[in-house]
Amino acid sequence: MNCMNNPVARRLMWRLTITMVLYVAFLVLAVEIFVHYRPTGPLAWLLAVLPALPVIGQLAVFGLYLAEEKDEFMRNLQIQAMLWGIGATLAVTTAWGFLENFAQVPHLDLYLVYPLFWFFVGISTPLLKARYK
Amino acid sequence: MKNRLKVLRAERDWSQADLAQRLEVSRQSVNAIETGKYDPSLPLAFKLARLFETTIEAIFSDENG
Repeated sequence: MNCMNNPVARRLMWRLTITMVLYVAFLVLAVEIFVHYRPTGPLAWLLAVLPALPVIGQLAVFGLYLAEEKDEFMRNLQIQAMLWGIGATLAVTTAWGFLENFAQVPHLDLYLVYPLFWFFVGISTPLLKARYK
Repeated sequence: MKNRLKVLRAERDWSQADLAQRLEVSRQSVNAIETGKYDPSLPLAFKLARLFETTIEAIFSDENG
């Protein structure tokens, strides 16, 4: 993706920035309300899910990017990187689950699965790009 | 898949970036196609053929054929 002259990549960056800003805002809001008001019931559920909404939005943003990207090679590359990300995340979290059960390793909070996925996508992308050089 | 993109580019004195701009793709895409590491879709192959005013078969050849 060349952000300087690809309008689709530029739109992706803008949309990602918006979701990141919303994520931080919703997370701070949820934490503040939980700390000061200790809500329970449906309000607690709603507030707990609030920071996840921009994260879900981020996945939709990437879906839009894949639909809008006119450069088929770059789209293909991104899809491959995401498939590697999905595969590696599933492999690591599945193995970690068994390690938690049988070897008492520290518990992995489920919200860490999402950044773990992007970590693997981030590693895969330059490796895949190198393959086509 | 083998291709004659490098020759066709050289005949017109186009860089990979020039061709990429004309095809509205990235330079990396042109490089991947040219080096035979990525086979373009039919629409992109037709676009290439139109751009070089030739046929797809005149640009690409099946290595087994």
